[in-house]
Amino acid sequence: MSIKLEHVSYVYMPGTPYEKEALKDVSLEINKGEFVAVIGHTGSGKSTLVQNLNGLLRPSKGTASLDGTDLSGKTKEAKQARGRIGMVFQYPEHQLFAETVYEDIAFGPRNLGLNNDETDARVKEAMKFVGLDFETYAQRSPFSLSGGQMRRVAIAGVVAMNPDYLILDEPSAGLDPGSRRAVFAEIMTLYKKRGIAIIMVTHSMEDAAKYAKRLLVINKGQIILDGRPGEIFLKEKNRLLEVGMDVPEVYKLADALRAKGLRLPHEITDAKLLLAEVKRRKGLK
Amino acid sequence: MEPVIETQGLKHVYIDADNNQVTALDGIGMQIQPGEFVAVIGANGSGKSTLARHFNALLLPTEGSVKVHGLDTLDENNLWRIRQDTGMVFQNPDNQIVAAIVEEDVAFGPENIGVPTEELKKRVEDALRAVDMLDYREHAPHLLSGGQKQRVAIAGTLALGSKCIVLDEPTAMLDPKGRKEILNTMKKLNREQHITVVYITHFMTEALLADRVIVMSKGKIEFQGTPKEVFSRVDELEKLGLEAPLAAKVAFELRKSGAKLPPGIITNEELAAALA
Repeated sequence: MSIKLEHVSYVYMPGTPYEKEALKDVSLEINKGEFVAVIGHTGSGKSTLVQNLNGLLRPSKGTASLDGTDLSGKTKEAKQARGRIGMVFQYPEHQLFAETVYEDIAFGPRNLGLNNDETDARVKEAMKFVGLDFETYAQRSPFSLSGGQMRRVAIAGVVAMNPDYLILDEPSAGLDPGSRRAVFAEIMTLYKKRGIAIIMVTHSMEDAAKYAKRLLVINKGQIILDGRPGEIFLKEKNRLLEVGMDVPEVYKLADALRAKGLRLPHEITDAKLLLAEVKRRKGLK
Repeated sequence: MEPVIETQGLKHVYIDADNNQVTALDGIGMQIQPGEFVAVIGANGSGKSTLARHFNALLLPTEGSVKVHGLDTLDENNLWRIRQDTGMVFQNPDNQIVAAIVEEDVAFGPENIGVPTEELKKRVEDALRAVDMLDYREHAPHLLSGGQKQRVAIAGTLALGSKCIVLDEPTAMLDPKGRKEILNTMKKLNREQHITVVYITHFMTEALLADRVIVMSKGKIEFQGTPKEVFSRVDELEKLGLEAPLAAKVAFELRKSGAKLPPGIITNEELAAALA
């Protein structure tokens, strides 16, 4: 099972003075079960890319498909295919609208045509998933919650639709480190328990390194790097800086230590590894 | 010298959507001196943004007082003065731009307070130069990058004559390059033009560059000090839902394992030097 882009180009406002080619001949396959991070500077085409992946935008050229079904079609199959790809937008808490947390989360499942019992089950399950106690929160107004909680409600609303692919646009923007960890703990549970694919657009190199198994770097509407985060951050530092990206802090710290003569193995991808190596070198337990 | 901002027993209470009374600020007493670069950190809901909005009278105290350049925010006659003296920059660059051309956007504030044309021109030019956006004066703001838009917003406050700029998570929506641009711009304005900076952020690496870091929790100031003092308290920060910079955390763990390291290690270079 996979989402496939084949030679996809996307042009905004074609035929006007503002015409802009945001994606240029992009081919990409994302399989169910992958965890992909997408990075790139503002205006690089990341958002256009993910909106082509879930059928919100229709490619100007080329095709986007899910298991062979063209996502831009008007058929029942195409509609169902789009329904399997969930999307949590940036600052999803701004899109909450219902009077209660329950109603907000139930909106998606109801639109899928589920009856009350099924919807109820989906809402309960989704709330459990994102760590919001049903008794405490279901009947509260979503607008009385903290930013982190509101974001969880918004994620629950998409989770309740049982997507096979979940696209997250900047899931940790504006959250404190604690809430960031909490949101990611939920995303990871979802990823592992349901075996779905996660596609995450992010400006945080830390999050990309920590959670993703595959990293896509977008620049000027094209995928310029595609590979394991550990490898890209290690080998492509200069290229990343060139396109306005960065490497995670742990790579910088490792470099600083190496510069002072501390011998460290090549691939230091997280803080635990770094700490263990420094301890070993310094004969600490 | 008179503090730029001074609060005494500041309380802010509001009623939320469920009709509960919420105390967002609970007795804040603080001063910010002219020319200081102060970072404010704290978990979501700790009261940082509420506090910032008191600094230019967008919110008014339920109890206690806020004085900006000695002017009480509760006195309505002071509002215009206060809002010129203290500029605000918010998180989302797209919500703060009002004009279709960069220089008109920067001119919007001073034009509204009746600055004469010749001076207006000069102010806009100076402000755009200060944030390194003069080359973009005739550009359309919506085509700029996030970092550039935020710099235009900063220029807007400068053109208004603000001596103090309060930024509420100005880099939350920016890419790494944009984040660097904003931080460098604010450091430069602080250094060269002695602009007082209050910088709210979730990025601890940004707070590292401040003169003083204020840590907020549940509407109170939990502790404060130089970045060295604050970020050495690795455990306490963690408990507040925050995070010390990586070098401080690694130093903390190494000390636990018996390493003899000097106190106050918070940057990669300091840790590297200590371990060399």
